[in-house]
Amino acid sequence: MNDREIVLARIRNAVLHKERHPGAYRAPDGPGGWDAFADRLTSVGGEPAGPYSPSAAGPALRLRATELADGGRIVAEASAAAEVGHGPWDVAPSGGLPHAFADVAVAIVRGEIACAENGAVAVCGADAPHRALAVLCRHLILVVDPKRVVTSFHDAFDGLPANALDHHHVTWISGPSKTADIEQSLVFGAHGPLTLDVFAIER
Amino acid sequence: MRDVALFVPCYVDQLSPQVAWDTVDVLERAGCRVHYEADQTCCGQPFLNTGARREAKRLAARHCERFAKHETVVSPSGSCVATVRNRFAELGIDPQGPDAQCRTRTYELAEFLVDELRVETLGARFPHRVAVLQSCHGLRDLGLAPGSEQGPDAPETRDAVSLLLDKVEGLERVTPDRADDCCGFGGTFAVKYPEVSARMGKSRLAGFSGAEFVVGTDVSCLLHLEGLRARAGKGPRPIHLAQVLAGRAPA
Amino acid sequence: MSARFDERAREVLPDDARVEWHDTAVFDLRRRRDLAVAEVPDWEALRGQAAAIKAHVLDHLDTLLVQFEEAARAAGARVHWAADAKSANQIVSELLAARDVHKVVKSKSMLTEECGLNDALEGRGIEVVDTDLGERIVQLANEPPSHLIVPAIHWSRHEVGELFHRTMGTPAGESDPERLTRLARADLRKHFLEADAAITGANFAVAETGSLVVVTNEGNADLGMSLPGLHIACMGIEKLVPSMSDLPVFLRLLARSATGQPVSVYTSMVTGPRADAELHIVLVDNGRTELLASDAHKRALGCIRCGACLNTCPVYRRAGGHAYDQPIPGPIGAVLAPGVRAKQGGAELAHASSLCGSCTAVCPVGINLHDQLLTWRGEVRTAGPGERIATRMAAWAMGSARRFDLAGRAARSVWGLLGRRFRGNPAEPWLSSRELPAHPGERFRDQWRERRGSADE
Repeated sequence: MNDREIVLARIRNAVLHKERHPGAYRAPDGPGGWDAFADRLTSVGGEPAGPYSPSAAGPALRLRATELADGGRIVAEASAAAEVGHGPWDVAPSGGLPHAFADVAVAIVRGEIACAENGAVAVCGADAPHRALAVLCRHLILVVDPKRVVTSFHDAFDGLPANALDHHHVTWISGPSKTADIEQSLVFGAHGPLTLDVFAIER
Repeated sequence: MRDVALFVPCYVDQLSPQVAWDTVDVLERAGCRVHYEADQTCCGQPFLNTGARREAKRLAARHCERFAKHETVVSPSGSCVATVRNRFAELGIDPQGPDAQCRTRTYELAEFLVDELRVETLGARFPHRVAVLQSCHGLRDLGLAPGSEQGPDAPETRDAVSLLLDKVEGLERVTPDRADDCCGFGGTFAVKYPEVSARMGKSRLAGFSGAEFVVGTDVSCLLHLEGLRARAGKGPRPIHLAQVLAGRAPA
Repeated sequence: MSARFDERAREVLPDDARVEWHDTAVFDLRRRRDLAVAEVPDWEALRGQAAAIKAHVLDHLDTLLVQFEEAARAAGARVHWAADAKSANQIVSELLAARDVHKVVKSKSMLTEECGLNDALEGRGIEVVDTDLGERIVQLANEPPSHLIVPAIHWSRHEVGELFHRTMGTPAGESDPERLTRLARADLRKHFLEADAAITGANFAVAETGSLVVVTNEGNADLGMSLPGLHIACMGIEKLVPSMSDLPVFLRLLARSATGQPVSVYTSMVTGPRADAELHIVLVDNGRTELLASDAHKRALGCIRCGACLNTCPVYRRAGGHAYDQPIPGPIGAVLAPGVRAKQGGAELAHASSLCGSCTAVCPVGINLHDQLLTWRGEVRTAGPGERIATRMAAWAMGSARRFDLAGRAARSVWGLLGRRFRGNPAEPWLSSRELPAHPGERFRDQWRERRGSADE
């Protein structure tokens, strides 16, 4: 027998197939909407901005990205660039090694849905094909539609596009990268971005 | 008048007879007629805790025989009551059988006073600053008080010991640091790992600063803490709830 | 019984200030957890849901694993099975050797700790770089982690600064956590960019979709999964959930229980490989099916490795993680140790608990940890012949009121002697830190007979 057969045989000897799944879970209502999300994001170390109308968003984003970049390289995923228009950023090229983003100061990436309960924003593979970009950059700016803020994490999962998993990864990001591994002192920017801005832009 | 059989744990019988008398006193003040089965020994808890299940089973069965004829059994020890109530089933005592009575009607003193007798006052006076030691078995196995771990949607629980203390004249209740951290006794744990246990007790005692007395429902935890306090020569004095409710002044 | 746990705890206990500091740091995590829990109106319901899902998963593990395997393959991943640690290490070694991998970046995985994967790979000349900051600290110090989620919680900032100076050449005397973190970031960033492969664990795996879920705060797993062309995920077979909609139940519990965060910073769901990479998933048993076959202990397989039971454990907080000498310390480590048997000596740990039950009360998936420790005590007898005889004699004495009476009298007659003989004697640890109670006088039963007449009417 190979290991697969061995393990499965051991399991079959042990299980009865009797315990039923408890069924769908319903969470009680809680505070929702952009304001609740913005409060939560602030509490996890992120920076909410907006909501902006499509016309006001561009200038605000250009200002913030330039400030954060401090002369460094700004890269926007194509899906984000499509929403916010032109700016001092390069649109991420298709193809190439992910290592090419190692020197990015600011990355701008489209978020699919945001969750007020925990400040998390879903970044889907379809919108962010360059998986490395959002973690290699020093500063990350996520762009979300304020109408796509839901209350609970259950709602957030339910709200993912049906084909979300077809594009390799879906990553929930709640605040900037952090660690407290040295004497419990909270430090932002452990490996990933030192800061996270979430721009609410009406679509 | 309610008839109550006293379950005096083996170590209380041997080491702290006064706690048993205080319990008799409190129960009689509360209008009970107290009975005592003289040939009771041990419920088996120390044996169960070391993994000696065979021995524990024998003693559990013996314990049930001794109390079978009583409607109500009360004990000044949360951990022994928790053993009878929550562990006897796994020691092979049939929940429907004739021995079941001693499990279903055995109460810890504080819960008996609060839930069964619903006492309003015992007329006790104890003019001291007092902190509650929530002993773990009473707290988490018997539900004497809401545990600090519980979420907002946990069923509501009264804090039996605090309710009783708040009715004692002159008593001022002090809130300890870390509401219900374990004192480090743990029965055979303290014997097998005396140094870790002592370190736990030391921290626990430090959490009661501002109190003159630490009041608990388990004599074993209190003896452990008293041993540590006496050696350190300082700190609040651990005493049993029954002593406070009996209004017996500290020696 | 040789109290090995006590011997190891003795390495830290004499340093009172350090024990105090460790206790405070760990309990602080428990406090944060309490604050986070208070904000979740359906906390207990959520725990119940999680426990019920895990019970279902464990009872359908065979079908769910096969479903997962098919879905993961359909998404382009390669799935491997390992019956034990040796097999798991061999699979990973061979995958790396076949692709001529020299350097691996690894994110935290308790499973690979359990299997001893790092040693196995380093034995083959492959450099393994642990990338979680805490894990990196203990790796540089060449010692095991002492906590599930904060592996270097027993290290002070000054010690970390000294370690970094010695191993990475950072400036001497640096002890500021932020600057130390930046220095480690810069060093590890190089390793990320140079690595040929990444190894991660998996917090969850979704049977329906073949997805892996990897959770970190630092972003280290995400860097690993997005840079090198090879990603190997090692996971215990118990990590499955049936479908995507089960995930938020566990994710809402996990970070709150661990650190009091509403969710971890990065929760990555990965389905199949990146377009420019390979993904291999190694499903590992290594004793899990033995626990699965035990009605008393199978629930322990529901563990989501949040560390809450460590943070609340009064014994862990004082004795420290290394006293357990197992890949996972604390209550859950003690429950898993006799079953998973990664290291000898695990059976004793069932006794290294005061059975206070706080672990069970905090466990987000409702594992009856203290009950299981008690059960292990009955199942795995660790008592030596002396203790066994003493136990039998004590039980015999308790078996009759007369014998109990005689034993009590005997003890009383030497009472004063006991206290004098052992006071302050380090060979008698109980009395080295405690006073013997005053002589209690007559026993209650004798007093009752005298005051209230013979036995009960």
